[in-house]
Amino acid sequence: MSLKKNFASRLSLYVLVLTAGLMLAVAALSALSASRTVKHEADVQAEKVLDNAILEIERVITEVERAVDNLDWIVEQNLSDEEFLYTVTQELVKTNPNVIGSAVAFEPGYYKGRPYFCPYSYEGDVSHEIHSIQMGNEKYDYPTLDWYQIPKLLGRPYWSEPYYDDGGAGQRMSTYSMPLKDAEGNLIGILTADISLEWLSEKVSSIKPYKNAYTLLLGRNGSYIAHEDPDKVLNETIFTSALEMADTTALYIGREMIAGHRGMVQFRNDDAKSFMVFGPLSNGWSMGLVCTYGDIYRDVNLVTLILSMLLLLGLVGLFFGTRSLIRKQTMPIVEFTNSAMTIAKGNFNARIPEVTSRDELLRLRDSLAFMQQSINDYILELKTTTAANERYESELYIAREIQMSMLPQNFPSRRDFDLYAMVQPAKEVGGDLYDFIEVGDRVFFLVGDVSGKGVPAALFMSITRAAFRFIGSLGLPMDEVVHRVNNSLCDGNKNEMFVTIFAGCLDLKTGVLDYCNAGHNPIVVVRPDGSASFLRAKPNLAAGLFMDFKYEAERLQLERGSRLILYTDGVTEAERSDKVQFGEKALLDWANALNPDVSANASTLDLYAAVRRFVKDAEQNDDITIMSIVLK
Amino acid sequence: MNVTINEEGAKALVKLEGRLDTTNADQFMKDIMPLMEGSQEEIDIDCSDMEYTSSQGLRMFLMLQKNVTARGAKLVLRNMKPHVKEVFDITGFSHIITIL
Repeated sequence: MSLKKNFASRLSLYVLVLTAGLMLAVAALSALSASRTVKHEADVQAEKVLDNAILEIERVITEVERAVDNLDWIVEQNLSDEEFLYTVTQELVKTNPNVIGSAVAFEPGYYKGRPYFCPYSYEGDVSHEIHSIQMGNEKYDYPTLDWYQIPKLLGRPYWSEPYYDDGGAGQRMSTYSMPLKDAEGNLIGILTADISLEWLSEKVSSIKPYKNAYTLLLGRNGSYIAHEDPDKVLNETIFTSALEMADTTALYIGREMIAGHRGMVQFRNDDAKSFMVFGPLSNGWSMGLVCTYGDIYRDVNLVTLILSMLLLLGLVGLFFGTRSLIRKQTMPIVEFTNSAMTIAKGNFNARIPEVTSRDELLRLRDSLAFMQQSINDYILELKTTTAANERYESELYIAREIQMSMLPQNFPSRRDFDLYAMVQPAKEVGGDLYDFIEVGDRVFFLVGDVSGKGVPAALFMSITRAAFRFIGSLGLPMDEVVHRVNNSLCDGNKNEMFVTIFAGCLDLKTGVLDYCNAGHNPIVVVRPDGSASFLRAKPNLAAGLFMDFKYEAERLQLERGSRLILYTDGVTEAERSDKVQFGEKALLDWANALNPDVSANASTLDLYAAVRRFVKDAEQNDDITIMSIVLK
Repeated sequence: MNVTINEEGAKALVKLEGRLDTTNADQFMKDIMPLMEGSQEEIDIDCSDMEYTSSQGLRMFLMLQKNVTARGAKLVLRNMKPHVKEVFDITGFSHIITIL
């Protein structure tokens, strides 16, 4: 399921993002604070380590200086004893583990006229045995070397710059030189003690407070006296090293160190962010401790990493926990959805899950339950209404059956005349009627149209039909027939209902037609030759309106083969969907085109079919009644 | 069917427009109720824009006529279109309602 589509997942994700943001901010702040503390501690620690290292080297230097200083007057007292000079240097080397070589170098020509005289004792590189030699000669012209010349010129003790001695020990060393003077203060030679730079380097290298930290020792001109890289010793100075570095801060550090300053400087050392603490030694050297921040922050970074992992784990846990919690809390919504779906599918009594909380969910549940109740009530009401409607419709259908059965369905089959009629109500029940009664050789007939439609018209129609059925059978003159029908309809007609009637009496022997028109449409008379015309009868007045209205009857002599077409305005006023009516002209055209030999049944149904063809699929707007009578 | 009634003193000038058939006969009855319940001495109905009347419509005119006659007032229908007038003639309503 997609995160976007799942409410619980989405909400959990929001919570997660929010919490992660807050936690990250706290973690970052705490890491920053820890870094600062650690850095401060590292600075203090580095300085302490440096101070201790300086003290240790100082101690060695002081020991050497003190040993030489102590020897000074002894040598001056025993200058004449050549053997002693060897012994005294031997003793110095033997008693001072830090001293690898010692010489008494005399001014050329001073000692018994010799141009070079330099008794020298040194510790063998491998055997550690002490050898003594006379070192001065043409090849080893010591009076020209720094360790001899500089203290001679300065007139005071001096630590030489590191150098490789090829005279005796064959090692890289630095030499402490002490001028020897006679009673008059004239220089007679130089007393020396050598310390091994290898040894010093080892010593210095052992000072390593962090994994990647290292200590270095610089001479007065910046040359390396000790360095973790032995190749640099003698061969390079801090300045030559600095030239190879991208960060030229090392130049500044070099200047500060040879100036004998203390300090702490940050710089990039071979791409590693580092800092260096440095401080001077009493002999003009300077010691520096280089530490990388990587080492210092290692613990902090480790803690931060562990913290981050824990944080991540916690967040993952939080996500799933929150999601599960929200899912559980919103489970009723899922159930409500299912219930609503079930209800929507038509199961209106679907169970809506209960909720125990008194919150929005309860309100949602209540609204669902209310909706369900409303639907059920509505459906019940709808069922009742539908049942009532069905009963009403069924009653109307029965009423129609009754109404239709009132009209005669059996038509006479006689040699002297033919009659056929039909009614097609627009609604279930209608207000049109027709009737005929054979009285001897006469036939009384009638077509009527009650004002309005539906049940009221149907009731009025049945009254009319009942009146005519009785009155028509009496064999009275037509004006009397209609007069009596009118009076019986007027009696108690409070609703101003009325009926238009065309009533006639055809004498089948003579062909005489007596008729009375009570506000009805003109009937069509088709002559035996097929020519048709309207019978424009005196309209009188529709029946049911005025009691004792004086209706006038008229008379027409028909030839054998004549046909009468009676109808209601449902024929002439039949409307197409564009409101055009069938009309009297179309009726007359139809009658003229009619085959004079067809039966009354055929002409009745043919006219109805013509009207149907005319209106096409338009809804029938009025009852249609057609009666055909043929005098044979 | 649109019915407009203008009262001029004791005379009511009425204008009828459109078709009067079974579907709107009840509405027409309500529309002319002021004429049935009023005290006008003369009701003059202009039928020049009346397109059709059904038998139900005729009933309405008849009821109005009987009401007017009962209170001794006068009802006149004017300017009726020939095919509408024909309905009044056929049914004989021309005899009981004054059509000018």
